[in-house]
Amino acid sequence: MIYLDNGATSFPKPPEVARAMAGALSRCANPGRGGYPAAMEAAREVYRCRSLAGELFDCPPEAVVFTGSCTQGLNMAIRTLVRPGARVAVSGFEHNAVTRPLHALGAELVVAGRRLFDWEDTLTRFRDALRSGVDAAVFTHMSNVFGYILPVEEMANMCREFKVPFVVDAAQSAGTLPVRLGRWGADFIAMPGHKGLLGPQGTGLLLCGRLPEPLFQGGTGSESKRPDMPDFLPDRGEAGTLNVPGICGLAEGLRTVSRLGLDTIHRREAEQAALCARGLEKLGLHPFFGPHQGGTVSFLPDGDCEAAAETLAKHGIAVRAGLHCAPLAHESAGTLETGTVRVSFGYKAAPWQTQAMLQAAEALKGGNVNIL
Amino acid sequence: MKQYLITFRSITFAQKGEWAVKRAGIPCALGRTPRDMEARGCGYCLKVRAEAASQALNALKTAGASYRKIYFSREDGSWEEAVL
Repeated sequence: MIYLDNGATSFPKPPEVARAMAGALSRCANPGRGGYPAAMEAAREVYRCRSLAGELFDCPPEAVVFTGSCTQGLNMAIRTLVRPGARVAVSGFEHNAVTRPLHALGAELVVAGRRLFDWEDTLTRFRDALRSGVDAAVFTHMSNVFGYILPVEEMANMCREFKVPFVVDAAQSAGTLPVRLGRWGADFIAMPGHKGLLGPQGTGLLLCGRLPEPLFQGGTGSESKRPDMPDFLPDRGEAGTLNVPGICGLAEGLRTVSRLGLDTIHRREAEQAALCARGLEKLGLHPFFGPHQGGTVSFLPDGDCEAAAETLAKHGIAVRAGLHCAPLAHESAGTLETGTVRVSFGYKAAPWQTQAMLQAAEALKGGNVNIL
Repeated sequence: MKQYLITFRSITFAQKGEWAVKRAGIPCALGRTPRDMEARGCGYCLKVRAEAASQALNALKTAGASYRKIYFSREDGSWEEAVL
């Protein structure tokens, strides 16, 4: 199988990740809950991971809160910043991990910028939204459907200019593009551990520029006499036992990313996505591509997108079809009814993968999709 | 041997402190805070030799590893809070 669904999760993981997780199961007890060697070993591993993340994402280790997913982090961040019924600026390319928590709070969404790969449109509309008066902003760094890299640094500057608190969804960019809590001045940045950071599923990070409102209440191993959660990071956001094996695996993923370098990873992925898009265009399969695009490309086959993905799977190509949990992004691109087929490259992106994908895609030409 | 014991509000801050103190070339030991020195519940502390205490506190300050209280060991082995 040629795996081109890294937008869903990176796969396979570096072997070091599995080794670290297995080691944790035999060496690590509960961190922050005791002073004996196995508890202290667990605490050391957890702190190592916090420090690695802090170095990569421009924040102190204590600002790194471990979560179970990017979604969990986004929920915590959104519930901290957004009061019921608030007006919130979002980009036109948000995932349900952003829009559903906002919907649940009854927030009024101000959708700012719907044109793919168009920074001028994104920035103009975003400024208009901020000027119209919003209580908060939540925006993705990179569209999970189309690979569009939004101008987050400029958007962050605007938020600070208008004094609007903001959250960045780095689900698709962490481990591929520079993500900087300190430099951006973000209130929160949420990311999964299992995508670009190459860690296991069930891990995530919430980088905190301010104290979050906890989603869960419970034990933290600190200030145990308090009836409420501690008022300091990271404990306030980390009730209950941490996923130590997952965190050990994530630390190895972070080391791999740091060793390879963000520039190398991004270049590899974006080059193959561009090559893939050009090939798909030659095949008449309607790819969405443009400037400011990362390692993901979506295309519109003539037939049913799910059937197309199934045909590709029969040729050994793993891609994802449908709406990718991002109906807003599809609405912006005009593909809400059809969905798309998404090809997303990973840190080992190489021309042979693209070539194999395009060879398989020839089976889709002219809507001649046969799923039987 | 006379020692200083520096308490922290959480394991993370104690670890940040450990990192800062060791980076300054000062040996230290990370462990649980004795129960009667942690009024708010559970906590972690660093132990450093008395002669390195001042340097250790400077290292903590520089790293932003905020500590809670400082104790020094008496001749009889008990601890007394240091008022700075």
